[in-house]
Amino acid sequence: MSLNFLNPIYLLGLLGLSLPVAIHLLTRRQQTRLRFSAVYLLSQAQKKSIRRSRPNRLLLLLLRCLALAFLCLALAHPLFSMADQSDLLPDQPTATVFILDDSYSMGAKSKDDSLYKNALNILDSFLEKMPGTHKVSLVMASDPPRVLAGWTGDTSDLRKQLRSSRPGFQTTNVGGAFELAMDLLGNGPEGNKRIFLLTDLDENGWREEAFPSMENQRVLVRVLDFSERQSVRNQAAIESVVVSQEFLTHSRMVRIRYTVKNLSPTRPLNSANASLWVNGNKQSEETLSLKPGELLTKEFTFPHLGKDRLSGFIKLSDDGLLTDNKRLFSYQPDQRLKVLLVDGDPRGVSHQNEIFYIERAMNPFSRAVSDIEPHISTLAELTSQDLLRFSAIVLCNVRQIPFGYEQELERFVSQGGALMITLGDQVDPRAYNEKLGGLLPVSLKTINQVNRNEDPFRVRAQASRHPALKVFSGKMLEELEHVRIQTFFSLEPKPGRTFVVPMQMTHGEPLLVESDFGKGKVLLYTTSIDRDWNNFPIQPMFLPWVQRWIKYTAQSLDAITRKDLHVMESIELGDNKDDWWVESPTGKTYRLRTINNRLPRFEETQTPGVYSLYSAPANEKTDSQETVDEERTLYDKRPLSAIPAGGFTVNIDTRESTTEKIGESKVRDILRGVSVDITHQPDLIESASLDAGFPLVTPLLLMVALALCAEGWMVRKE
Amino acid sequence: MAEISTFQSDPEILTRIAALKIHATRLVEGLLSGQHKSPHKGSSVEFAEYKDYSPGDDIRHIDWKVVGKTDKYHVKQFEQSTNLKCNILLDASGSMAYQSPFKNSIAMDKADYARTLIAALSFLLLKQYDAVGLISFSDRVTDHIPPRSKPSHFQPILYSLAQTQFSGETRLKHTVEELIEGLPRRGMLIVVSDLLSRDDDVLSTLKLISSKGLEVILFHILHPDEVLLPFDGDIVFESLEDDPPVGLDPVEIRQKYQELIQDMIQHYRHHCPSLGIDYQFTQTDTPLDQVLRYYLLKRRSLFKA
Repeated sequence: MSLNFLNPIYLLGLLGLSLPVAIHLLTRRQQTRLRFSAVYLLSQAQKKSIRRSRPNRLLLLLLRCLALAFLCLALAHPLFSMADQSDLLPDQPTATVFILDDSYSMGAKSKDDSLYKNALNILDSFLEKMPGTHKVSLVMASDPPRVLAGWTGDTSDLRKQLRSSRPGFQTTNVGGAFELAMDLLGNGPEGNKRIFLLTDLDENGWREEAFPSMENQRVLVRVLDFSERQSVRNQAAIESVVVSQEFLTHSRMVRIRYTVKNLSPTRPLNSANASLWVNGNKQSEETLSLKPGELLTKEFTFPHLGKDRLSGFIKLSDDGLLTDNKRLFSYQPDQRLKVLLVDGDPRGVSHQNEIFYIERAMNPFSRAVSDIEPHISTLAELTSQDLLRFSAIVLCNVRQIPFGYEQELERFVSQGGALMITLGDQVDPRAYNEKLGGLLPVSLKTINQVNRNEDPFRVRAQASRHPALKVFSGKMLEELEHVRIQTFFSLEPKPGRTFVVPMQMTHGEPLLVESDFGKGKVLLYTTSIDRDWNNFPIQPMFLPWVQRWIKYTAQSLDAITRKDLHVMESIELGDNKDDWWVESPTGKTYRLRTINNRLPRFEETQTPGVYSLYSAPANEKTDSQETVDEERTLYDKRPLSAIPAGGFTVNIDTRESTTEKIGESKVRDILRGVSVDITHQPDLIESASLDAGFPLVTPLLLMVALALCAEGWMVRKE
Repeated sequence: MAEISTFQSDPEILTRIAALKIHATRLVEGLLSGQHKSPHKGSSVEFAEYKDYSPGDDIRHIDWKVVGKTDKYHVKQFEQSTNLKCNILLDASGSMAYQSPFKNSIAMDKADYARTLIAALSFLLLKQYDAVGLISFSDRVTDHIPPRSKPSHFQPILYSLAQTQFSGETRLKHTVEELIEGLPRRGMLIVVSDLLSRDDDVLSTLKLISSKGLEVILFHILHPDEVLLPFDGDIVFESLEDDPPVGLDPVEIRQKYQELIQDMIQHYRHHCPSLGIDYQFTQTDTPLDQVLRYYLLKRRSLFKA
């Protein structure tokens, strides 16, 4: 049982009690004694007199003093609690590690604010009351666990730091936190060793393998469970959001497929509202009904013809935990790729042109619905083209490249451009082998042709995990079997060169050879891209096949944009001549650079949101704020010359959203070997804290009012 | 001795009062002749009337001449002057010793007032050759001087008055019960008291005396302080008798107290005449001669009536 004051300074006001006492003494009338005859009549008169209830001046004084005292006490904000805190603050010195669960599940709503706030209040009161002889340290239990404060007796700084803290977006790792705590206790000061864990007992955080061995440890573990303070149930969470865009349609529908889970295994979820927000505006919404424990996948669609990056989120109606009701996405529609088509065999009739089919495959409706923009050039015009304007160059049945142009091509490819070479009757293999020897990992050998009465060559139709081919399966693969190839170039690998063969013919000869050159890619198609040597251009698969290979070789940036990371998951960015700049949703900007050929990694993904990626030359400098480490530096803003290079989203790991709580026996089993005390009513503990307990302000103010009323009534009677 | 020294038998007052005469309203038996007429018809020098003889009458008073003339037995009755036997009952309880805290008050102390009154009455009665006795009482009889008619009897009375100590509770009933057998069957009883007693039986006690044939005169003496309660401030009133002290501000209860006192006076004033008691209320700021003159005039008019 204790009585605490939040503003004890006001207790000084009790000195003011001397005021009414002094006034009483100064104005006191002298009492005289008189010997009188009819005293019994005086007594009778006093009993019968209406005014016999006139206040005793002492009673008035008492009432005034009480009013003043109650007022001072009320201002001092007293809190009364029945809890005994002797076990929390024993007389002997202690070494206590507080483990504070700051995972996002602690952000669940409670009566006052959130579970985390409740835990923080209790922790704050512990720290405030902790005398200097008691040493404390603090470990945060969100994954990855970290020591927020080492051993200290002076908790004022720590308390200040804690007051401004908020629950993170990570999952819980109680085991890791215990490991840190045991390390701290092992190297800590003498005294009773204790671990106080303030948590919501979320089952997700208790993976037994993460716990250190606690056998034979003289440690008292006290678990303060706040889960029962949760005022509103956590009903649902968005598990995932996948964005895709329809391919080769007029409307270019964007499909946002999201999965919602009803977290309750017993209760159905009715009339939950799901809304789609894109670029800050509500785009659409719908009402969901989920069976107990159901994982429901739904889809929002909307047309999007633009090429701007989309970022937004799916949001569920509020429940007990807001963090898992929102899941962000970011989508970069296909970038417009400018492709230079070099026609090596132009004819007077357009459909006889070498590039007739590939051009239509790239831009099938002759309008800007495709994201590939072909530019046609003849061989003669090639030298006048500015290659840096293009993402890819396709040499179609070109006899030989202009003199000295191979260096231009090599520079183009090494900077990230794509070069696709298709062969044909015009091709001079010797010129190719000589001039393009650096770009091509193989040499053109001979032309293989089948006679009319012979079976044509066929393409080996098999499912592939190659990024450009992985979408082709089932029926489309069957269509590939219809492809007849009458003529092709056989190849010979160059020694010491690496390449892959994503497609080959049934007899093993390569149809397509892929190789890297610098940052770019080179593709060699061993037959013609028109119908002269094969019938592939009139197959339905030809169109997507062309588009995918062009996009693949042009290294469309959506590969990164579509990445959906979990909080605290790191991302490895690709090799870049320039520095990568990452702008976090909180506005911080990091510069990442490659050190010792190690690809730059970005690890500061504490906050869910859309992280924007920029590329800027390495020599760009701006005022450095803080160097995180050798590879990463923190800046206020990105350099002006930074070029947008996509982005990625970071979302919470919904494993933490589980409503399953770990049982008391399971906790004891995991922590076997040490004394464990589990408190599910932290209110009782809280009352040991300064700002907890039953507030007596209102009753005291009522007493003040009562005393003043009584005093006024008595004075009025007088 | 202090009481003696404070006693003042003011000659001026005594002389002034001597001009007045007490005329008893009833005839009293007495041995000495005086100005009082005896209510008893008996042997005397002054014939009053005849009455038919009835058994028990003294045959010495039969007028034989009338028997001889009328053959009827008549008894002569005489109007005989007798002297009065008067007992004065002085309340010597503590409450009578009240002394006003107001130094410039014109009112006498109750004790002095009562002493003077009794001395005056005694002087008057002795001058008329009536017998006067004095009984002082509080919770019991504290002094008893039997009635005498000698003029020199004034001295013992004065002495008794002077040495009376006012203390103890007022217990009139107890006193009367103690005295009733010793009181004469005829005569007068003068009671001088402030009647400040919890004893509610004052009237019934006086009725007992009255019914015995005694003429009762009740002088009710109160100090103006006791009537008006003119005090102010926080005062602890300590009883002159045995009541527990009371601390209060008199202002608060003054009105109620005055009502109680007036109720008491009215009570006696209303009930005494019906019991054959002469009730005279007086405050000690009233001049004694004025009180006595008024009272004796009233008595005379009654007598004449």
